[in-house]
Amino acid sequence: MASRSPALARPPAFRGVGRSILLTLPIALWSLLMFMPSFQRAGRDQHIGALLVILLMTTLFFLMMRTGETYRWRRIFFVALGFLFPVGFIAALIAERGTMSIPISRMVSGDTPFCFMVTPSIILPAAFARTIIFPGSILPSAEHPHSIAMMIGVWFAMTLVLGKAWCSYACFFGGIEEGFAAFAKRRRLHRFVTKYGSILRLIPWAILVFVVLASAALFEPVYCMWLCPFKTVTEFPAVRNLETAIQFGVFVALFVGLVVVLPLLTKKRTQCGFFCPFGAFQSIFNKINLFEIRFNREKCVDCTLCQTSCPTAALSKESIRDGKTLLNCMKCGACVDVCKKDAAVWHLKGTAVAVKPERARLLFLYGAWALATMFGGSILANSVATMVHWLPWK
Amino acid sequence: MRSRILSILAYTGAGLTLLVAVCVPFVLIQGFSNFVAHAGLHIDATYSGGTIARTVERDGYRIVVYQPVQPRLLERVEPFVQIVFEPADSLPSRVSDEIDLDGDGRPDVRVSFTMPADPNAPLRGDVTALNATYISLTNVGGESFSRMVVRTGNKIVVRVPLNKELARR
Amino acid sequence: MAALSLSASAGEALVLGLATGPVCLATCGPVVVPWMMVQPQGVRLHSRQLFLFLAARLAGYLVFACAVWLVGSAIPHAIPHAWTGRSWLMGGIQILLAAALVVYAAGWPHRRCVVAKATSALVQIGEAPVPKRSGALALGFLTGINLCPPFLVAGVRAMQLAHLSAALLFFVCFFFGTAIWFFPFLSLGFLKRTPAIVTVARMVAVLLACWYGFSGASILIERTFYG
Repeated sequence: MASRSPALARPPAFRGVGRSILLTLPIALWSLLMFMPSFQRAGRDQHIGALLVILLMTTLFFLMMRTGETYRWRRIFFVALGFLFPVGFIAALIAERGTMSIPISRMVSGDTPFCFMVTPSIILPAAFARTIIFPGSILPSAEHPHSIAMMIGVWFAMTLVLGKAWCSYACFFGGIEEGFAAFAKRRRLHRFVTKYGSILRLIPWAILVFVVLASAALFEPVYCMWLCPFKTVTEFPAVRNLETAIQFGVFVALFVGLVVVLPLLTKKRTQCGFFCPFGAFQSIFNKINLFEIRFNREKCVDCTLCQTSCPTAALSKESIRDGKTLLNCMKCGACVDVCKKDAAVWHLKGTAVAVKPERARLLFLYGAWALATMFGGSILANSVATMVHWLPWK
Repeated sequence: MRSRILSILAYTGAGLTLLVAVCVPFVLIQGFSNFVAHAGLHIDATYSGGTIARTVERDGYRIVVYQPVQPRLLERVEPFVQIVFEPADSLPSRVSDEIDLDGDGRPDVRVSFTMPADPNAPLRGDVTALNATYISLTNVGGESFSRMVVRTGNKIVVRVPLNKELARR
Repeated sequence: MAALSLSASAGEALVLGLATGPVCLATCGPVVVPWMMVQPQGVRLHSRQLFLFLAARLAGYLVFACAVWLVGSAIPHAIPHAWTGRSWLMGGIQILLAAALVVYAAGWPHRRCVVAKATSALVQIGEAPVPKRSGALALGFLTGINLCPPFLVAGVRAMQLAHLSAALLFFVCFFFGTAIWFFPFLSLGFLKRTPAIVTVARMVAVLLACWYGFSGASILIERTFYG
């Protein structure tokens, strides 16, 4: 019997089915634990949302174990989160007040939900003047469940575990541009990104410094009021004068440019890698995080596939030569999965590079996927429940 | 030997990170949010309206007068005083009150508005300044953080801008 | 009440210094960076030079504070309003500030920090094995009285303060806010990231220019059409 040609032969699985199931069990149990309250108290829509998310997260983790790949399975969850979060969020806004815009009355009553991206802006005024420059509520209540204290608590607790991997496993905006980047067939502007990558990578830091200092000087959340592209798919201050009209125009222009068009042209997460100040802020936590991606110089053949595949240009020729990624590495796993020589590996700081990398990957993934299930999964379940609720054939 | 110790520390750290991850939804989120909640922070007066100066009782409702809010050096908001009428459900259909804002016993502004029958309908009102420290507003809704007559929940929030030169003294 | 007002001014000055520190970096970085890089190696020596530089810079700040307060106290009360708030003058100053920030960020050689020309003799590359104190002091004082954009904003504010001591305190706090930005240069010879810091500072200057330009233009448009 003729054997299949190598091109058509199914690549050998990384790990057997039994072992993969065994390794997936903790995540399956964790998912059930996280969504148990939904089954106990919520309605049928919520049950369906919870069930689908449990299946999704468990299946994706199983596939990560079975294939030994991380990036493409994580991306499915992440893109789903990015596109479905606005669905649930906008639906709730329309149901509550009939519009996506925030009237000024809501801002003075402390009803504006706090978004983690405001965090860098509020630090200096909070430190020097004990003042939170955000029109929200500090304490959680029935009227204000997404209080400032609660959201900062969520962000900080998760950042302790994830570091900059927040941008790959938690951010409910990043999946939008990751989806557009994946949709694009060809990688255009590649030479431009490679040539000017060292400058482009500094822009988020400049915006971070500007936003932090301008917010402190003006005592207003400058990023939220002027620079957030995702206002376009969540909520924005109601247009009531020329200034708010300009703000809205800036939001839309940034969204269309950085989140839709440029990812389609470059196959990169351009907003995340070349604009987002919160991403730069999270990069700081990479310094204390134990997990990273490293390069085995003995195996590396400098093909630069990793550099091309990195969604945020977190690799340069110099950094690969040094065996490291740059500070803005999101630990998405794209470079590890694409490397044909297994030179790019997951690494636990303090251990030898490329010795038992799969162990480092597992230790990282358990923490990251557990938190992704808890946080992103609950958002997904809520959005799915919203969509089920509005099904026309119900 | 050194590499062995580092390795042990690394895996211990990784284990602790996993433990932290497990603790996030059960302990850490609540713990950190309690810390922030009790850190003595307050919402910026531009949004909250500042601290309460005094409360005036009327027939069936009360008027809460706040301390004047002065902008900081580069802050772009005008100085203003917030006045809150509550509860909105108990207000008469037409409100026209003269209010003493600075506590000197003499009325400083007259606030007038008509309560719409539908609580979700937009509200507009007038503020007539009775002394030069305050600036009159005509048919205003939610113009800006320093000039508004709006309904929020069961309250009517009025913000009267101050004359900048007089407010500075 | 007076203590509260004083602490509020001090806080404002510190925040203003922090906010405009990147501009100081972009402005005086081209002067400070090469000067620091020719200093002999050694943390102690670098620290001494930086300390002298900053002390002289503070002296320059205080001289300027005295000067602007004296000017401000000579102006009648009616006019100070023109120097603040949404007035023609503030609008114009902010536009000029924006233009100056863009020029500094672009590193236009003729318009670089005015001190650079005066101090070219002080920047001695590869010479003088023992760094002279006079170099640090002169450089610090000259950059301290350099009329760069942050000075305009801080000076205008200091003019309004009731007492000379308040104006001096304002500039001391402003100085600390800007001085923080110079500490990374302490280990200039060892930091590979220094070019990145200066690049980020230039980008921040451009962003600040956009902000001041927008703010100034909106003031002028408001004054033109709404009086």
